[in-house]
Amino acid sequence: MRIRKELNKIPGFEVANHRIDSWWWLVAAVVGIVALLAALEPDPYWRIIRFVSDGLLVTIGVTVIAFILTLVLGLLTALGRLSKNGVVRWITTIYVEIARGVPLLVQLLFWYFAFPSIIQGFGELIHFEPFEHYLANPFAMAILGLTFCYAAYMSEIYRAGIQSVPKGQNEAARSLGMTRNQAMRYVILPQAFRTILPPVGNEFISLLKDSSLVSVVSVADITRRGREFMAASFLPVETWLMIALIYLIMTLISARVVAWIERKTQTEER
Amino acid sequence: MTTLAPTPIIQIENLHKHFGETAAVNGVSLNVNPGEVVLIIGPSGSGKSTLLRCINRLEDFQSGSVIVDDIPLTTAENINAIRTEVGMVFQSFNLFPHLTVLENVTIAQKVVRKRSPEEANEIGRALLAKVGIPEKENGYPGQLSGGQQQRVAIARALAMNPKIMLFDEPTSALDPEMIQEVLDVMLQLAKEGMTMVVVSHEMGFARAAADRAVLMDDGLIVEEAVPDVLFSHPTQDRTKEFLSKIL
Repeated sequence: MRIRKELNKIPGFEVANHRIDSWWWLVAAVVGIVALLAALEPDPYWRIIRFVSDGLLVTIGVTVIAFILTLVLGLLTALGRLSKNGVVRWITTIYVEIARGVPLLVQLLFWYFAFPSIIQGFGELIHFEPFEHYLANPFAMAILGLTFCYAAYMSEIYRAGIQSVPKGQNEAARSLGMTRNQAMRYVILPQAFRTILPPVGNEFISLLKDSSLVSVVSVADITRRGREFMAASFLPVETWLMIALIYLIMTLISARVVAWIERKTQTEER
Repeated sequence: MTTLAPTPIIQIENLHKHFGETAAVNGVSLNVNPGEVVLIIGPSGSGKSTLLRCINRLEDFQSGSVIVDDIPLTTAENINAIRTEVGMVFQSFNLFPHLTVLENVTIAQKVVRKRSPEEANEIGRALLAKVGIPEKENGYPGQLSGGQQQRVAIARALAMNPKIMLFDEPTSALDPEMIQEVLDVMLQLAKEGMTMVVVSHEMGFARAAADRAVLMDDGLIVEEAVPDVLFSHPTQDRTKEFLSKIL
């Protein structure tokens, strides 16, 4: 951040710096291609867009909800791994290793197909009616699966961010009488958040893309809707071209927003 | 003839602190009376900073006892109680870079002392004026010079109304022309009767403000005396050798 401040003193650099974000033109270009295709060839392109549009809302919903939960669970896991309590540290470390060691697709299949059966079996064992008739909600299980996996990666990002704050910051806070938790909340975390913003933004983009995997566990996201359209229309090239372009628009916009937030927080201080 | 000896506000008794195999503090006993200014000098690695950091328990220790203002450093509650009474100033300032200058001085007042924002701001502004930085309250630490940052750090510690101030080489990281502005603030504090323990080699400050100078080496106190006496007529060879290097 200090380097950026120094660079900004160079005449013309800020202009050049600003130009980085003319990457918005790429977003505009992709949107333009989609609009052009839809206008020039409404059949099939406009038809595809209309068909998958409800799936688009599902994709955005799954991604945003899973991301918010990931931010919370990731932070709790990171704090657990940095805890003084050995048991808490042990449990959170095991969790991270499992969640990172099993492929995301396998995890999603587990939560959707295996987890409900386990709950049902457990319900029969203890004769607990609601458990015996437990049925998986695809949407909820998909969010659970994504969150379970992504929170483990997120916790490592938080942990690196927290550990990147110099030790003297904690000492200064503690010497003023702050408790461990107060020092974490008012001094360490606010500084860690700034450091981890770029990797956290990347996680959001990865999550958006990986959310396409939920299409295999009965969630009617944009990928699943694309498969349905292709099955009915026998137009694989047009269908997957359009789906790919729609994903690209979403990820490109996300990348711009992340860059914007990053710049904003860096110019606020110093 | 009876002179009533004041109860020491800091009582350190046979303190031992080692990092693994290396002993940092190797059996130190030191009492500091209320209002006293004690300067600790010594070569690097002599344990002087470690001793200072044991007073507010930033460092754990293996044996011995530290009692501050009649509170023994034992339980977590006691340690936090002591930390609210003991201000600390660090060599590298350790200001909070994400907070403004005023917020640096008010955050602990609000969070620890539970003061209202208005009250905390009022106290904070008064202290910033006292250390000579009233006009920078909305700036960030990164925009200040080292000397200004250290003065803000002193104000931040004073905002908790400490009974004791610890200074860990407060001027060692400063450019020469900024040292005096920090020492001036410390001199004023000493005049006002603040109890201070200072790890520093600033002889001018020692002569002007310190009641006692302590020389440490190898985790032990080698010699202690009034600064003028210690600097001019040291009795120990180790003291003479050390002084010849720094004077």
